[in-house]
Amino acid sequence: MTIAPQPLGGIAESGHRHTDSVPAHSLVLVPRVQREANVTWEGNVARGSGAISAATGAFDALPFSLASRVEKPDGKTSPEELLAAAHAACYAMSLAGELAGAGTPPDHLDVNATVTLDQVEDGSHRIVSSELLARARVTGTDQETLERLAQSASEGCPFTKLIEASATVTVTATLEGDTHGD
Amino acid sequence: MATDRTAEVTWHDDLMSGSGRIDSVTSGAIGGLDVDWRARSEDGAAKTSPEELIAAAHAACFSMALSNGLGQAGHAPEELKTSATVTFQPGEGITKIALGVAGKVPGMDDDAFQEAAKTAKENCPVSKALASVPEISLTARLES
Repeated sequence: MTIAPQPLGGIAESGHRHTDSVPAHSLVLVPRVQREANVTWEGNVARGSGAISAATGAFDALPFSLASRVEKPDGKTSPEELLAAAHAACYAMSLAGELAGAGTPPDHLDVNATVTLDQVEDGSHRIVSSELLARARVTGTDQETLERLAQSASEGCPFTKLIEASATVTVTATLEGDTHGD
Repeated sequence: MATDRTAEVTWHDDLMSGSGRIDSVTSGAIGGLDVDWRARSEDGAAKTSPEELIAAAHAACFSMALSNGLGQAGHAPEELKTSATVTFQPGEGITKIALGVAGKVPGMDDDAFQEAAKTAKENCPVSKALASVPEISLTARLES
């Protein structure tokens, strides 16, 4: 199976389990996927608090509050932290797809995403940036190729596509020396 | 003042047969969450995904924005229950987010609640960051 070196859309289609027996034009039949989360909140914004649960059960009743969002986290998550986790996970998959498409699947990727929430001129808060840092252990590629694929991987990550309309997305990728084992 | 939140993910091998893990986040609230392509694009199977995390972020952000609006109107909510459902079309991207909220808000009428919910949907920072999603819908219900 050849994985086209194109954004996640291409990877998703070519990687579908029926790909080997299904002509490319029919891959639009890949089903839609829905993911749900539920939140409860009690009280006003300054003193109230909430809890976040994932429908898959992967996490449940994570507490959050305004203080945990804009001041010290104090062990509590926030919308921006969850977006950082989403972006890092989305990007890691996209970069793995790009590298595999180039014939050099990664042995190991470390991805770090930092989402910044800032107060803008009118006093409201905006998500202004997401910074991606990737360290890749890949046999058979070089730094220059990695940087090119790292950029394509960001462009192909659905989350990057969404937020780059209003926020800055930066990507820094570093090739780590070939080593054996972790 | 800017606030940064960071997450760390590791991944092994290619997209289709490989797997990853959300190792840690700034707050320490989540960690050791496994992710892989199959769980993301087919059956969730108790594993989270970028789309589920986006749903969680959006539901949380919307809830805070709505509590803020209601509080400013003199009707801080007793309770808000919010759900966000993110629709991901592999090969295309995120095509829709459906927000739903049920609120217990003493002294508020339905029209005012609908208006506050609409304002929260338009103005919460995650909504603004995700404004390029083709469709973001909202269903708001006031509970007595």
